Amino acid sequence: MGSLASLVLADARFPGGGHVHSGGLEEAVARGLLTGLDDLEPFLRGRLRTAGLVSAAFAAASAVRTADARVARAPVSAACATQAAVGGGRADAGAAQASTSAARATRAATWAELDAELDARTPSVAQRDASRAQGRGTLRAVRAAWPSPMIDELVAVHPRPHHPLLVGAVIGLSGGSAAEAAECVGYLAVSGPASAAVRLLGLDPFAVNAALVRLGPDLDDVVATAARAASGPPADLPAPSAPVLDLMAQAHVHHHREQVRLFVS
Amino acid sequence: MRARTVLVVERGPDGRGLVRELRSQSPLSLVPRRGTAAAAESAVTVHMVGSASTPLAGDDVELDVRVGPGADVVLTGVAAAVALPGLAKPSSLAIRFEIGEDASLQYLPEPTVITARAHHHTALSAELHPTARLRAREVLVAGRAGEPTGRYRGTVRVEETPADLHERHSRPLGMNESAVRAGRAVREQGRVLLMQTQELGDLPLGRSAAHLAGRRVLGTEVLIWGDDPGSGVAGDWWSLTPLARRGSLATAVGPNAVVAQRGLAEAVAAHPGWTNAVLAAAPVLR
Repeated sequence: MGSLASLVLADARFPGGGHVHSGGLEEAVARGLLTGLDDLEPFLRGRLRTAGLVSAAFAAASAVRTADARVARAPVSAACATQAAVGGGRADAGAAQASTSAARATRAATWAELDAELDARTPSVAQRDASRAQGRGTLRAVRAAWPSPMIDELVAVHPRPHHPLLVGAVIGLSGGSAAEAAECVGYLAVSGPASAAVRLLGLDPFAVNAALVRLGPDLDDVVATAARAASGPPADLPAPSAPVLDLMAQAHVHHHREQVRLFVS
Repeated sequence: MRARTVLVVERGPDGRGLVRELRSQSPLSLVPRRGTAAAAESAVTVHMVGSASTPLAGDDVELDVRVGPGADVVLTGVAAAVALPGLAKPSSLAIRFEIGEDASLQYLPEPTVITARAHHHTALSAELHPTARLRAREVLVAGRAGEPTGRYRGTVRVEETPADLHERHSRPLGMNESAVRAGRAVREQGRVLLMQTQELGDLPLGRSAAHLAGRRVLGTEVLIWGDDPGSGVAGDWWSLTPLARRGSLATAVGPNAVVAQRGLAEAVAAHPGWTNAVLAAAPVLR
């Protein structure tokens, strides 16, 4: 089940609005930093190992926590049902309810902490907006396909959840692992920009696809690093910076407003 | 070389900063500015002087700076730091700042040059009271002229400490352990303002248009200093962006330190809080 969620979320036809983002590629093309296939692969590799790793690590951390909550939730409701059946008394039911609300408060605090740590690793306001815009777009599709109170808890922290947190939550809810969530989000960090390159530079789609596939070992590294860090404290999650991507994201916002640009980010 | 360097500054009865504690060891010596110029200012200026070849393989230097309530400190470098060969054992510099209520710290070191065979790690962690101000600069130069870069990895983490530290340790009656934990985490949320790791020495990464786009010099400056810009501001190779909770980050890259630092200065000049503070401090021209 986890792998189906992962496939659907990584699919270019998933109706989440990801197609309007180029992940900084459009700005790099506009600046002449990227003119052809030779520059594309290093661009994608750089993006994957920086912004991609941050996203993958937070998706993995989110998946671990929804998977844990899913497991923790089941026995509690079973215990409540048993108690009700044997007439265990109002006091026990009250205690169970209190522990459920405490668990809910813990989960709310966890989401708030992940949200704050990801914000802190995304200093560029343009990139925070892009992440939250993609999260919001994805949320509509997620609500229809994977309705869950845990998604509501994530949205309660911020109405526009960061895209990696939401994707990780869905994969965790569907029984997927931290590595699956990291792989899905890590792949999305480069697949969108790769298809934007085809459109912006008129590159050969077969060659671009081959370049994407050559990133396999880098993606494996990113997934392994993200999955290793996923269960630890959110403060210890990786935070690699991509300085030029950050400053280009800011410049792109201005160009997007003033001139014609195809992509939002 | 192993060195533990400590600087503690408090606000004196006359409103001037008072150096309460100053312990420094080679290779990092702290030299407070003295004389009439220093006496005319309420902020304490301390120069960081590299008093031996450092950072060099195996060097392990720690710098702790505590700025008490209401005090202002300026910590400046006097010369570029040149990270020297350290392939066998990396050199490390750990910096911790604690800035109290209404206090401020400006940390303005000169550039750090990561020479070809260097392997240098830094960690800067700053804890600020919600009313404290911080300006922290970092300029990294990937190798000397005509030389490939060595390896560098530096993490910056800036956190806001809750105004009432005691609250964290008190335990409300009638709450179970997990509710207390959850409550504590909720109070602590939003504390982290910035966390990022810069890396040099991964050649494909440095050439990537996503990372340094082949530029040799990277400058960043954290500004938690009054009003932040409402939205991001950008030039060709610099940007100033408001952080999610409080503060801003200026970033600039360039082919050399002069160009990168000029970009950084433009980004800082676009920060409303900093600009207002500079204008307020300037003598009134009539």
